Amino acid sequence: MNKLASAITIQNVSKLYYKQHQRTLKEFIPALLGRNKTHETFWAVKNIDLEVKKGESIGIIGPNGSGKSTLLKLIAGVTQPTSGSISVTGRIAPLIELGAGFHPELTGRENVFLNGVILGMTRAEIEKKFKTIVDFAELWEFIDQPIKHYSSGMYLRLAFAVAIHTDPEILLIDEILAVGDHEFQRKCVTRIEEMKKNKVTIVVVSHSPDLIREHTEHALWLEGGEVKDSGGAKKVVAKYFG
Amino acid sequence: MQFFSLFTTYRELLSELTWREIKQRYKQSILGYAWVILNPLIQMLVMAFVFSKILRVESLGVPYAVFLYVGLLPWNFFSGALAGATGSLVANAGLITKIYFPREVFVLSAILAKVVDLFLALSVLVVFLIYYHISLSWHIVWVVPIFGIQLIFTYGLSLFLAAANLLYRDIQYVLGLGLIVWMYLTPVIYPTEMFPDRYRWIFQINPMAVFINAYRQVILAAGEPNYMSLGIAAVVSTSVLMLGYWFFKKLEGVFADVV
Repeated sequence: MNKLASAITIQNVSKLYYKQHQRTLKEFIPALLGRNKTHETFWAVKNIDLEVKKGESIGIIGPNGSGKSTLLKLIAGVTQPTSGSISVTGRIAPLIELGAGFHPELTGRENVFLNGVILGMTRAEIEKKFKTIVDFAELWEFIDQPIKHYSSGMYLRLAFAVAIHTDPEILLIDEILAVGDHEFQRKCVTRIEEMKKNKVTIVVVSHSPDLIREHTEHALWLEGGEVKDSGGAKKVVAKYFG
Repeated sequence: MQFFSLFTTYRELLSELTWREIKQRYKQSILGYAWVILNPLIQMLVMAFVFSKILRVESLGVPYAVFLYVGLLPWNFFSGALAGATGSLVANAGLITKIYFPREVFVLSAILAKVVDLFLALSVLVVFLIYYHISLSWHIVWVVPIFGIQLIFTYGLSLFLAAANLLYRDIQYVLGLGLIVWMYLTPVIYPTEMFPDRYRWIFQINPMAVFINAYRQVILAAGEPNYMSLGIAAVVSTSVLMLGYWFFKKLEGVFADVV
Protein backbone atom coordinates (compact mmCIF):
# COMPACT_ATOMS: atom_id res chain seq x y z
CA MET A 1 0.00 0.00 0.00
CA ASN A 2 1.15 3.51 -0.81
CA LYS A 3 2.64 5.05 2.29
CA LEU A 4 1.06 8.38 1.45
CA ALA A 5 -2.42 7.01 0.82
CA SER A 6 -5.09 9.35 2.03
CA ALA A 7 -7.20 8.31 5.02
CA ILE A 8 -9.48 11.33 5.15
CA THR A 9 -10.12 13.72 2.28
CA ILE A 10 -12.41 16.66 2.87
CA GLN A 11 -13.13 18.94 -0.05
CA ASN A 12 -14.85 22.26 0.36
CA VAL A 13 -17.26 20.89 2.96
CA SER A 14 -19.98 23.01 4.54
CA LYS A 15 -22.69 22.02 6.95
CA LEU A 16 -25.86 24.01 7.46
CA TYR A 17 -27.83 23.25 10.60
CA TYR A 18 -31.50 23.78 11.06
CA LYS A 19 -32.46 24.64 14.55
CA GLN A 20 -36.08 23.77 14.89
CA HIS A 21 -37.81 25.56 17.73
CA GLN A 22 -40.92 23.41 17.92
CA ARG A 23 -40.63 19.77 18.80
CA THR A 24 -44.35 18.90 18.55
CA LEU A 25 -47.03 19.63 15.97
CA LYS A 26 -49.00 21.45 18.65
CA GLU A 27 -46.20 23.97 18.87
CA PHE A 28 -45.32 23.87 15.22
CA ILE A 29 -48.69 24.57 13.60
CA PRO A 30 -49.54 27.77 15.54
CA ALA A 31 -46.02 29.01 14.90
CA LEU A 32 -46.44 28.37 11.21
CA LEU A 33 -49.84 30.07 11.08
CA GLY A 34 -48.67 32.95 13.24
CA ARG A 35 -45.70 33.33 10.91
CA ASN A 36 -43.34 32.99 13.79
CA LYS A 37 -39.96 31.64 13.02
CA THR A 38 -40.17 27.87 12.89
CA HIS A 39 -36.46 27.37 12.54
CA GLU A 40 -33.13 29.10 12.35
CA THR A 41 -30.22 28.10 10.22
CA PHE A 42 -26.53 28.50 10.78
CA TRP A 43 -23.35 27.24 9.18
CA ALA A 44 -21.63 24.93 11.64
CA VAL A 45 -18.65 24.50 9.34
CA LYS A 46 -17.92 26.34 6.12
CA ASN A 47 -15.63 25.62 3.18
CA ILE A 48 -13.38 23.19 4.97
CA ASP A 49 -10.55 21.53 3.04
CA LEU A 50 -8.49 18.93 4.77
CA GLU A 51 -6.41 15.95 3.87
CA VAL A 52 -5.10 13.51 6.43
CA LYS A 53 -2.78 10.82 5.18
CA LYS A 54 -2.74 7.32 6.53
CA GLY A 55 -0.83 7.17 9.80
CA GLU A 56 -0.83 10.93 10.34
CA SER A 57 -2.21 12.60 13.40
CA ILE A 58 -3.98 15.90 13.50
CA GLY A 59 -5.34 18.05 16.30
CA ILE A 60 -8.36 20.29 15.84
CA ILE A 61 -8.44 23.39 18.01
CA GLY A 62 -10.70 26.39 18.32
CA PRO A 63 -13.11 28.03 20.75
CA ASN A 64 -16.45 26.49 21.74
CA GLY A 65 -18.94 26.49 18.88
CA SER A 66 -16.27 26.79 16.22
CA GLY A 67 -17.38 23.59 14.51
CA LYS A 68 -14.83 21.13 15.86
CA SER A 69 -17.32 18.49 16.92
CA THR A 70 -19.38 18.95 13.77
CA LEU A 71 -16.27 18.27 11.72
CA LEU A 72 -15.66 15.12 13.73
CA LYS A 73 -19.25 14.00 13.17
CA LEU A 74 -18.87 14.60 9.45
CA ILE A 75 -15.74 12.44 9.42
CA ALA A 76 -17.50 9.75 11.47
CA GLY A 77 -20.28 9.76 8.87
CA VAL A 78 -23.11 10.33 11.31
CA THR A 79 -24.12 13.55 9.62
CA GLN A 80 -24.05 14.49 5.95
CA PRO A 81 -22.38 17.63 4.56
CA THR A 82 -24.71 20.21 3.03
CA SER A 83 -22.16 20.71 0.26
CA GLY A 84 -18.73 19.42 -0.59
CA SER A 85 -17.42 15.90 -0.33
CA ILE A 86 -15.80 13.71 2.27
CA SER A 87 -14.10 10.42 1.68
CA VAL A 88 -12.82 8.26 4.47
CA THR A 89 -10.85 5.05 3.94
CA GLY A 90 -10.54 2.58 6.78
CA ARG A 91 -12.37 1.43 9.85
CA ILE A 92 -13.25 4.31 12.14
CA ALA A 93 -13.49 4.14 15.92
CA PRO A 94 -15.00 7.25 17.38
CA LEU A 95 -14.14 8.07 20.96
CA ILE A 96 -16.77 10.76 21.04
CA GLU A 97 -18.56 11.01 24.35
CA LEU A 98 -17.50 7.67 25.60
CA GLY A 99 -19.91 4.99 26.61
CA ALA A 100 -22.79 6.09 24.43
CA GLY A 101 -23.44 2.42 23.83
CA PHE A 102 -23.42 1.47 27.50
CA HIS A 103 -26.49 0.43 29.37
CA PRO A 104 -26.61 1.10 33.13
CA GLU A 105 -28.65 -2.00 34.01
CA LEU A 106 -26.24 -4.38 32.32
CA THR A 107 -23.03 -5.65 33.90
CA GLY A 108 -19.56 -4.46 32.95
CA ARG A 109 -18.99 -7.72 31.08
CA GLU A 110 -22.22 -7.43 29.11
CA ASN A 111 -21.44 -3.83 28.31
CA VAL A 112 -17.98 -4.67 26.99
CA PHE A 113 -19.56 -6.98 24.43
CA LEU A 114 -22.39 -4.59 23.62
CA ASN A 115 -20.11 -1.61 23.15
CA GLY A 116 -17.48 -3.64 21.30
CA VAL A 117 -20.01 -4.84 18.75
CA ILE A 118 -21.38 -1.31 18.39
CA LEU A 119 -17.85 -0.14 17.63
CA GLY A 120 -17.57 -2.74 14.89
CA MET A 121 -15.87 -5.72 16.52
CA THR A 122 -17.20 -9.24 16.31
CA ARG A 123 -18.04 -11.19 19.47
CA ALA A 124 -15.16 -13.55 18.74
CA GLU A 125 -12.71 -10.65 18.55
CA ILE A 126 -13.98 -9.24 21.83
CA GLU A 127 -13.70 -12.60 23.54
CA LYS A 128 -10.08 -12.77 22.46
CA LYS A 129 -9.35 -9.29 23.80
CA PHE A 130 -11.59 -9.43 26.82
CA LYS A 131 -8.74 -10.01 29.26
CA THR A 132 -6.65 -7.19 27.79
CA ILE A 133 -9.61 -4.83 27.92
CA VAL A 134 -10.46 -5.52 31.55
CA ASP A 135 -6.76 -5.44 32.48
CA PHE A 136 -6.47 -2.05 30.87
CA ALA A 137 -9.55 -0.78 32.69
CA GLU A 138 -8.40 -2.40 35.96
CA LEU A 139 -11.95 -3.45 36.70
CA TRP A 140 -11.81 -7.20 37.33
CA GLU A 141 -13.38 -6.76 40.73
CA PHE A 142 -16.53 -5.12 39.39
CA ILE A 143 -16.83 -6.65 35.96
CA ASP A 144 -19.96 -8.67 36.82
CA GLN A 145 -21.81 -5.81 38.48
CA PRO A 146 -24.32 -3.56 36.75
CA ILE A 147 -22.44 -0.47 35.68
CA LYS A 148 -24.99 1.83 37.27
CA HIS A 149 -23.04 1.12 40.45
CA TYR A 150 -19.80 2.30 38.84
CA SER A 151 -18.23 5.64 39.64
CA SER A 152 -17.88 7.96 36.66
CA GLY A 153 -14.16 7.24 36.62
CA MET A 154 -14.73 3.49 36.38
CA TYR A 155 -17.30 4.02 33.70
CA LEU A 156 -14.88 6.06 31.67
CA ARG A 157 -12.08 3.57 32.12
CA LEU A 158 -14.19 0.73 30.83
CA ALA A 159 -15.50 2.71 27.90
CA PHE A 160 -12.05 3.86 26.91
CA ALA A 161 -10.59 0.40 27.30
CA VAL A 162 -13.15 -1.03 24.88
CA ALA A 163 -12.84 1.75 22.34
CA ILE A 164 -9.09 1.68 22.26
CA HIS A 165 -8.95 -2.05 21.64
CA THR A 166 -11.12 -2.03 18.53
CA ASP A 167 -8.06 -1.91 16.24
CA PRO A 168 -9.30 1.04 14.25
CA GLU A 169 -7.53 2.43 11.22
CA ILE A 170 -8.81 5.88 12.11
CA LEU A 171 -9.30 7.01 15.68
CA LEU A 172 -11.48 10.04 16.42
CA ILE A 173 -11.03 11.56 19.86
CA ASP A 174 -13.25 14.31 21.21
CA GLU A 175 -12.02 15.83 24.47
CA ILE A 176 -12.25 12.56 26.31
CA LEU A 177 -8.88 12.75 27.95
CA ALA A 178 -10.03 15.65 30.05
CA VAL A 179 -11.71 13.15 32.37
CA GLY A 180 -10.28 10.34 34.45
CA ASP A 181 -7.43 10.44 36.92
CA HIS A 182 -3.93 11.41 36.00
CA GLU A 183 -2.50 7.94 35.89
CA PHE A 184 -5.21 6.62 33.64
CA GLN A 185 -4.80 9.59 31.32
CA ARG A 186 -1.13 8.74 30.98
CA LYS A 187 -2.00 5.18 30.21
CA CYS A 188 -4.37 6.30 27.47
CA VAL A 189 -1.79 8.59 25.94
CA THR A 190 0.74 5.76 25.95
CA ARG A 191 -1.75 3.54 24.19
CA ILE A 192 -2.46 6.26 21.61
CA GLU A 193 1.25 6.67 20.95
CA GLU A 194 1.44 2.93 20.42
CA MET A 195 -1.39 3.13 17.90
CA LYS A 196 0.39 5.96 16.12
CA LYS A 197 3.41 3.73 15.69
CA ASN A 198 1.12 1.15 14.16
CA LYS A 199 0.07 3.65 11.48
CA VAL A 200 -3.33 4.43 12.92
CA THR A 201 -4.64 7.77 11.69
CA ILE A 202 -5.63 9.98 14.60
CA VAL A 203 -7.89 13.01 14.77
CA VAL A 204 -8.08 14.74 18.15
CA VAL A 205 -10.30 17.58 19.25
CA SER A 206 -8.87 19.17 22.36
CA HIS A 207 -8.55 22.33 24.36
CA SER A 208 -5.27 21.17 25.76
CA PRO A 209 -2.29 22.82 24.01
CA ASP A 210 0.10 20.24 25.45
CA LEU A 211 -1.84 17.31 24.09
CA ILE A 212 -1.93 18.74 20.58
CA ARG A 213 1.66 19.93 20.60
CA GLU A 214 3.14 16.74 21.92
CA HIS A 215 0.99 14.09 20.32
CA THR A 216 -0.10 15.31 16.90
CA GLU A 217 1.95 16.34 13.89
CA HIS A 218 -0.55 18.70 12.35
CA ALA A 219 -3.16 21.06 13.68
CA LEU A 220 -6.25 22.70 12.27
CA TRP A 221 -7.55 25.86 13.89
CA LEU A 222 -11.25 26.53 13.42
CA GLU A 223 -12.97 29.81 14.14
CA GLY A 224 -16.67 30.34 13.47
CA GLY A 225 -16.80 27.20 11.34
CA GLU A 226 -13.97 28.26 9.07
CA VAL A 227 -10.31 27.37 8.93
CA LYS A 228 -8.28 30.11 10.54
CA ASP A 229 -4.95 28.38 10.24
CA SER A 230 -3.49 24.97 9.62
CA GLY A 231 -0.09 23.37 9.42
CA GLY A 232 2.50 21.99 11.81
CA ALA A 233 1.04 21.40 15.26
CA LYS A 234 3.68 23.41 17.16
CA LYS A 235 3.32 26.45 14.93
CA VAL A 236 -0.50 26.54 14.93
CA VAL A 237 -0.78 25.89 18.66
CA ALA A 238 1.71 28.65 19.38
CA LYS A 239 -0.35 31.10 17.34
CA TYR A 240 -3.66 30.00 18.82
CA PHE A 241 -2.59 30.14 22.43
CA GLY A 242 -0.16 32.97 21.91
CA MET B 1 -28.18 -5.39 -1.34
CA GLN B 2 -28.26 -2.73 1.30
CA PHE B 3 -31.55 -3.95 2.74
CA PHE B 4 -30.05 -7.28 3.76
CA SER B 5 -26.89 -5.87 5.35
CA LEU B 6 -28.55 -6.23 8.78
CA PHE B 7 -28.50 -9.98 8.32
CA THR B 8 -24.93 -10.15 7.03
CA THR B 9 -22.46 -7.41 7.96
CA TYR B 10 -24.47 -6.18 10.95
CA ARG B 11 -25.77 -9.52 12.15
CA GLU B 12 -23.90 -9.42 15.45
CA LEU B 13 -24.87 -5.84 16.12
CA LEU B 14 -28.51 -6.73 15.51
CA SER B 15 -28.40 -9.65 17.93
CA GLU B 16 -26.42 -7.70 20.54
CA LEU B 17 -28.92 -4.84 20.50
CA THR B 18 -31.83 -7.27 20.63
CA TRP B 19 -30.37 -8.94 23.72
CA ARG B 20 -29.73 -5.61 25.35
CA GLU B 21 -33.37 -4.76 24.77
CA ILE B 22 -34.51 -8.03 26.33
CA LYS B 23 -32.08 -8.12 29.25
CA GLN B 24 -32.57 -4.56 30.39
CA ARG B 25 -36.33 -4.70 30.50
CA TYR B 26 -36.95 -6.79 33.56
CA LYS B 27 -33.62 -6.49 35.34
CA GLN B 28 -35.05 -4.49 38.21
CA SER B 29 -38.11 -6.65 38.81
CA ILE B 30 -38.51 -9.63 41.13
CA LEU B 31 -40.52 -11.79 38.78
CA GLY B 32 -38.32 -10.79 35.86
CA TYR B 33 -39.27 -12.47 32.66
CA ALA B 34 -42.33 -14.10 34.17
CA TRP B 35 -44.09 -10.82 33.41
CA VAL B 36 -43.92 -11.60 29.73
CA ILE B 37 -46.20 -14.56 30.39
CA LEU B 38 -48.22 -13.15 33.29
CA ASN B 39 -49.17 -10.00 31.45
CA PRO B 40 -51.05 -11.48 28.50
CA LEU B 41 -52.38 -14.30 30.71
CA ILE B 42 -54.04 -11.96 33.17
CA GLN B 43 -55.19 -9.66 30.40
CA MET B 44 -56.75 -12.65 28.68
CA LEU B 45 -58.45 -13.96 31.84
CA VAL B 46 -60.06 -10.60 32.58
CA MET B 47 -61.17 -10.08 29.02
CA ALA B 48 -62.41 -13.65 28.75
CA PHE B 49 -64.58 -13.13 31.81
CA VAL B 50 -66.05 -9.86 30.55
CA PHE B 51 -66.66 -10.90 26.96
CA SER B 52 -67.80 -14.47 27.43
CA LYS B 53 -69.69 -14.30 30.74
CA ILE B 54 -71.09 -10.76 30.63
CA LEU B 55 -71.28 -9.77 26.97
CA ARG B 56 -71.60 -13.31 25.64
CA VAL B 57 -69.48 -12.94 22.55
CA GLU B 58 -69.60 -15.95 20.21
CA SER B 59 -66.38 -17.86 19.71
CA LEU B 60 -66.81 -20.28 16.80
CA GLY B 61 -67.27 -23.45 18.78
CA VAL B 62 -64.09 -23.26 20.86
CA PRO B 63 -63.84 -21.99 24.45
CA TYR B 64 -63.77 -18.20 24.33
CA ALA B 65 -60.54 -18.00 26.35
CA VAL B 66 -58.64 -19.91 23.66
CA PHE B 67 -60.38 -18.07 20.85
CA LEU B 68 -59.38 -14.77 22.43
CA TYR B 69 -55.80 -15.75 23.22
CA VAL B 70 -55.08 -16.83 19.64
CA GLY B 71 -56.04 -13.32 18.53
CA LEU B 72 -54.60 -11.47 21.49
CA LEU B 73 -51.06 -12.86 21.17
CA PRO B 74 -50.37 -11.67 17.62
CA TRP B 75 -52.14 -8.40 18.39
CA ASN B 76 -50.10 -7.72 21.51
CA PHE B 77 -46.97 -8.53 19.58
CA PHE B 78 -47.97 -6.11 16.85
CA SER B 79 -48.86 -3.22 19.14
CA GLY B 80 -45.88 -3.80 21.45
CA ALA B 81 -43.47 -4.01 18.53
CA LEU B 82 -44.82 -0.83 16.92
CA ALA B 83 -44.63 1.08 20.20
CA GLY B 84 -41.10 -0.15 20.91
CA ALA B 85 -39.86 0.47 17.38
CA THR B 86 -41.40 3.94 17.19
CA GLY B 87 -39.44 5.09 20.21
CA SER B 88 -36.29 3.16 19.32
CA LEU B 89 -34.44 5.92 17.47
CA VAL B 90 -35.15 8.51 20.13
CA ALA B 91 -34.05 6.06 22.84
CA ASN B 92 -30.76 5.53 21.02
CA ALA B 93 -30.09 9.19 20.30
CA GLY B 94 -26.75 8.88 22.10
CA LEU B 95 -25.53 6.36 19.56
CA ILE B 96 -27.09 7.97 16.53
CA THR B 97 -25.08 11.14 16.99
CA LYS B 98 -21.82 9.30 17.60
CA ILE B 99 -21.29 6.44 15.27
CA TYR B 100 -22.52 5.31 11.92
CA PHE B 101 -24.21 2.04 11.10
CA PRO B 102 -27.55 1.46 9.40
CA ARG B 103 -30.13 3.02 11.70
CA GLU B 104 -32.82 0.47 10.94
CA VAL B 105 -30.91 -1.88 13.21
CA PHE B 106 -32.55 -0.11 16.18
CA VAL B 107 -36.01 -0.56 14.69
CA LEU B 108 -35.54 -4.21 13.88
CA SER B 109 -33.94 -5.07 17.22
CA ALA B 110 -36.90 -3.49 19.04
CA ILE B 111 -39.22 -5.73 17.02
CA LEU B 112 -37.14 -8.87 17.48
CA ALA B 113 -37.11 -8.37 21.25
CA LYS B 114 -40.91 -8.60 21.12
CA VAL B 115 -40.71 -11.76 19.05
CA VAL B 116 -38.90 -13.37 21.97
CA ASP B 117 -41.69 -12.20 24.30
CA LEU B 118 -44.25 -13.67 21.95
CA PHE B 119 -42.57 -17.06 21.99
CA LEU B 120 -42.61 -17.13 25.79
CA ALA B 121 -46.27 -16.09 25.94
CA LEU B 122 -46.99 -18.86 23.45
CA SER B 123 -46.32 -21.44 26.16
CA VAL B 124 -49.63 -20.49 27.81
CA LEU B 125 -51.43 -21.16 24.56
CA VAL B 126 -49.93 -24.62 24.36
CA VAL B 127 -51.24 -25.35 27.87
CA PHE B 128 -54.70 -24.13 26.88
CA LEU B 129 -54.78 -26.17 23.69
CA ILE B 130 -53.97 -29.29 25.69
CA TYR B 131 -56.35 -28.47 28.53
CA TYR B 132 -59.31 -27.95 26.20
CA HIS B 133 -58.39 -30.96 24.04
CA ILE B 134 -58.25 -28.92 20.87
CA SER B 135 -57.12 -31.19 18.08
CA LEU B 136 -54.62 -29.72 15.69
CA SER B 137 -54.02 -30.63 12.06
CA TRP B 138 -50.97 -30.25 9.87
CA HIS B 139 -52.47 -26.96 8.70
CA ILE B 140 -50.89 -25.47 11.80
CA VAL B 141 -47.60 -25.15 9.88
CA TRP B 142 -49.27 -22.22 8.14
CA VAL B 143 -48.59 -20.24 11.31
CA VAL B 144 -45.00 -19.81 10.14
CA PRO B 145 -45.66 -18.04 6.81
CA ILE B 146 -48.53 -16.05 8.32
CA PHE B 147 -46.22 -14.79 11.04
CA GLY B 148 -43.57 -14.07 8.42
CA ILE B 149 -45.97 -11.82 6.55
CA GLN B 150 -47.03 -10.18 9.81
CA LEU B 151 -43.37 -9.46 10.58
CA ILE B 152 -42.88 -7.86 7.18
CA PHE B 153 -45.93 -5.68 7.75
CA THR B 154 -44.82 -4.73 11.26
CA TYR B 155 -41.28 -3.89 10.18
CA GLY B 156 -42.47 -1.75 7.27
CA LEU B 157 -44.87 0.25 9.40
CA SER B 158 -42.27 0.60 12.16
CA LEU B 159 -39.76 2.14 9.77
CA PHE B 160 -42.26 4.87 8.89
CA LEU B 161 -43.22 5.53 12.49
CA ALA B 162 -39.70 5.52 13.92
CA ALA B 163 -38.40 8.00 11.34
CA ALA B 164 -41.45 10.25 11.66
CA ASN B 165 -41.27 10.16 15.46
CA LEU B 166 -37.74 11.48 15.33
CA LEU B 167 -39.02 14.59 13.59
CA TYR B 168 -42.17 14.98 15.66
CA ARG B 169 -42.69 13.24 18.96
CA ASP B 170 -46.46 13.48 18.43
CA ILE B 171 -46.23 10.26 16.49
CA GLN B 172 -45.81 8.14 19.62
CA TYR B 173 -48.96 9.63 21.18
CA VAL B 174 -50.95 9.35 17.99
CA LEU B 175 -49.80 5.75 17.78
CA GLY B 176 -51.14 4.92 21.25
CA LEU B 177 -54.55 6.23 20.29
CA GLY B 178 -54.42 4.73 16.83
CA LEU B 179 -53.67 1.27 18.19
CA ILE B 180 -56.76 1.32 20.43
CA VAL B 181 -58.99 2.20 17.49
CA TRP B 182 -57.22 -0.31 15.29
CA MET B 183 -57.70 -3.11 17.80
CA TYR B 184 -61.47 -2.58 17.87
CA LEU B 185 -61.51 -2.65 14.07
CA THR B 186 -59.70 -5.97 14.11
CA PRO B 187 -61.41 -9.23 15.11
CA VAL B 188 -59.33 -9.73 18.24
CA ILE B 189 -62.03 -9.95 20.92
CA TYR B 190 -64.91 -10.92 18.62
CA PRO B 191 -65.22 -13.16 15.55
CA THR B 192 -65.50 -11.63 12.09
CA GLU B 193 -69.01 -13.10 11.83
CA MET B 194 -70.33 -10.71 14.49
CA PHE B 195 -69.15 -7.65 12.60
CA PRO B 196 -71.89 -5.89 10.55
CA ASP B 197 -71.84 -7.06 6.93
CA ARG B 198 -71.83 -3.53 5.62
CA TYR B 199 -68.51 -2.78 7.26
CA ARG B 200 -66.88 -6.16 6.65
CA TRP B 201 -64.67 -4.60 3.93
CA ILE B 202 -62.64 -3.00 6.71
CA PHE B 203 -61.20 -6.43 7.47
CA GLN B 204 -60.19 -6.85 3.87
CA ILE B 205 -58.01 -3.76 3.85
CA ASN B 206 -56.73 -4.39 7.37
CA PRO B 207 -53.84 -6.87 7.21
CA MET B 208 -54.05 -7.46 10.96
CA ALA B 209 -57.60 -8.78 10.55
CA VAL B 210 -56.39 -11.12 7.82
CA PHE B 211 -53.56 -12.43 9.99
CA ILE B 212 -55.70 -13.02 13.06
CA ASN B 213 -58.44 -14.75 11.10
CA ALA B 214 -55.81 -16.88 9.43
CA TYR B 215 -54.23 -17.88 12.77
CA ARG B 216 -57.62 -18.91 14.12
CA GLN B 217 -58.41 -20.80 10.97
CA VAL B 218 -55.22 -22.86 10.97
CA ILE B 219 -54.93 -23.39 14.72
CA LEU B 220 -58.48 -23.62 16.05
CA ALA B 221 -60.51 -24.68 13.00
CA ALA B 222 -57.81 -27.06 11.72
CA GLY B 223 -58.41 -25.68 8.23
CA GLU B 224 -56.63 -23.89 5.44
CA PRO B 225 -56.27 -20.13 5.55
CA ASN B 226 -58.11 -17.93 3.06
CA TYR B 227 -55.41 -17.91 0.38
CA MET B 228 -56.86 -14.94 -1.44
CA SER B 229 -56.91 -12.68 1.63
CA LEU B 230 -53.50 -13.86 2.75
CA GLY B 231 -52.07 -13.26 -0.72
CA ILE B 232 -53.41 -9.72 -0.76
CA ALA B 233 -52.06 -9.13 2.76
CA ALA B 234 -48.66 -10.39 1.62
CA VAL B 235 -48.61 -7.95 -1.29
CA VAL B 236 -49.76 -5.08 0.92
CA SER B 237 -47.17 -5.94 3.58
CA THR B 238 -44.32 -6.12 1.12
CA SER B 239 -45.35 -2.78 -0.38
CA VAL B 240 -45.52 -1.23 3.08
CA LEU B 241 -42.03 -2.52 3.82
CA MET B 242 -40.60 -1.22 0.55
CA LEU B 243 -42.16 2.20 1.05
CA GLY B 244 -41.20 2.29 4.72
CA TYR B 245 -37.63 1.38 3.94
CA TRP B 246 -37.41 3.99 1.20
CA PHE B 247 -38.85 6.67 3.49
CA PHE B 248 -36.53 5.68 6.34
CA LYS B 249 -33.43 5.71 4.16
CA LYS B 250 -34.40 9.05 2.67
CA LEU B 251 -34.54 10.63 6.11
CA GLU B 252 -31.65 8.67 7.62
CA GLY B 253 -29.06 11.31 6.66
CA VAL B 254 -30.66 13.92 8.90
CA PHE B 255 -31.35 11.69 11.93
CA ALA B 256 -28.22 12.83 13.75
CA ASP B 257 -29.13 16.47 13.08
CA VAL B 258 -32.69 16.38 14.39
CA VAL B 259 -32.60 13.88 17.22
